[in-house]
Amino acid sequence: MEETISLKEIVEVIKKRLLLIVAFVLGAALLAAVVSYFILTPTYESSSQFIVNQNQPEEAMEYDLNDSMSNVEIINTYNVIIGSPAILDEVIAELGLTETVPELGDKLNVSSEEDSQVVTVTATDENPETAVEIANTTVEIFQNEIPDIMNVDNVSILSEAELGPDPSPVAPNPVLNIAIAIVLGGMIGVGLAFLLEYLDNTITTEDDIEKQLELTVLGAISHINDSEVRSDHFTFQSDQSKKGRYDGTQKESI
Amino acid sequence: MARKKNQSKSNKVRHLITKLNPKSPVSEQYRTVRTNLQFAQVDDNLQSMIVTSSGPGEGKSMTTANLAVVYAQQGKKILLIDADLRKPTVHYTFRLDNLRGLSNILVGENSLQETANRSDVDNLDVISCGPIPPNPSELLGSQKMQTLLKEATMSYDLVIFDTPPVLAVTDAQILADMVDGSLLVIRSNFTEIEEATKAKEALEPAHAKLLGTVLNDREKKASNYYYYYGAN
Repeated sequence: MEETISLKEIVEVIKKRLLLIVAFVLGAALLAAVVSYFILTPTYESSSQFIVNQNQPEEAMEYDLNDSMSNVEIINTYNVIIGSPAILDEVIAELGLTETVPELGDKLNVSSEEDSQVVTVTATDENPETAVEIANTTVEIFQNEIPDIMNVDNVSILSEAELGPDPSPVAPNPVLNIAIAIVLGGMIGVGLAFLLEYLDNTITTEDDIEKQLELTVLGAISHINDSEVRSDHFTFQSDQSKKGRYDGTQKESI
Repeated sequence: MARKKNQSKSNKVRHLITKLNPKSPVSEQYRTVRTNLQFAQVDDNLQSMIVTSSGPGEGKSMTTANLAVVYAQQGKKILLIDADLRKPTVHYTFRLDNLRGLSNILVGENSLQETANRSDVDNLDVISCGPIPPNPSELLGSQKMQTLLKEATMSYDLVIFDTPPVLAVTDAQILADMVDGSLLVIRSNFTEIEEATKAKEALEPAHAKLLGTVLNDREKKASNYYYYYGAN
């Protein structure tokens, strides 16, 4: 038995289960909206930037090359250092936070600005003020501690995190969430439609009979609407009751 | 659950569309079946046939009754026999009483002439089921049944039997062995391929000449072209 799926069949299946697919899309969008607006607590982001200037004149030639080459490595190193208890313990102590070190580490993100040596520390928190404080304190403590740890002493802060007049949450992003939900809902809906179509082993068309059963189809009778019969229905019934043959109770007993 | 709903719906409406609305596209579809049946049986003369389906609620009785009507409209003398001695419905369709019928003939109480009701369609006589017997399969397989069939084919151009579903009981197989041809009713979006295949296989060993199938309850969208050609 050959299994070929034509484009027409696909369209047909989708058309047949369009309601189901639309329901899935709308349901997913609604769910995403509810979750984003009512369930997830909004979080705020704040970042602070610093630059590390390694001032080592004697080996300047060698290190210059290495510095520019292994920018990523340096950033990664800073990332680990910032995430380490050496820094975070002090941040927690200074700000009086309730988080543990790993929890605070999750809130911090260290990245470099476009291949430069400028490092951005981004803090995320449910409270915009705390986010600002965490970002600034972390950079300050990093600035104080780094000479002991890495033997670099030239960390200068470029920009401090600031609390804007009207901070807007970075997460959740309702529009993005709903968009993702719509796409996912559509995919699940279409998938389900095809699954149902595949599981549906009833005969639908003349082709099914001819292909699957190898029997002749002598004819197809359309679905008969009540209205179609009803046009002459009333005259017929009164006609019958006159003859006295039709007993209403008989029909009830079917 | 969906099945149950469909079934009850099919039982509720028992109107003979071919009689009430002979010009309707659906009536035309029944006539197409009639024509194709005549082509399906070229060599032998089709004098008796059964209409059956794999399971209940697929529209056997309605198909049988409507086919009988369109045959009768052609001017042939038709006898419709309700051989579904378990769940008879023909007397509902034709609004007949069911006091005397096939079961009476088979036990020897009445003759064919006595039980045949003239229906309000010209040329169409109907024998309803009669009192429901305890042993339908034995009665249908009896010698009396053979005699009845012979007698009926002599006085009628075509004898059509409405039968129980093939997969439920053996009655249809017994009758299929006796008659010239059998017609399998398949209900769109309802009959499963497996069931229809089983029904086909069940009818084959009984020397049933399976004339073909009728696809019942087909969605209208797919057969739109019936609807603008000479409708009304």
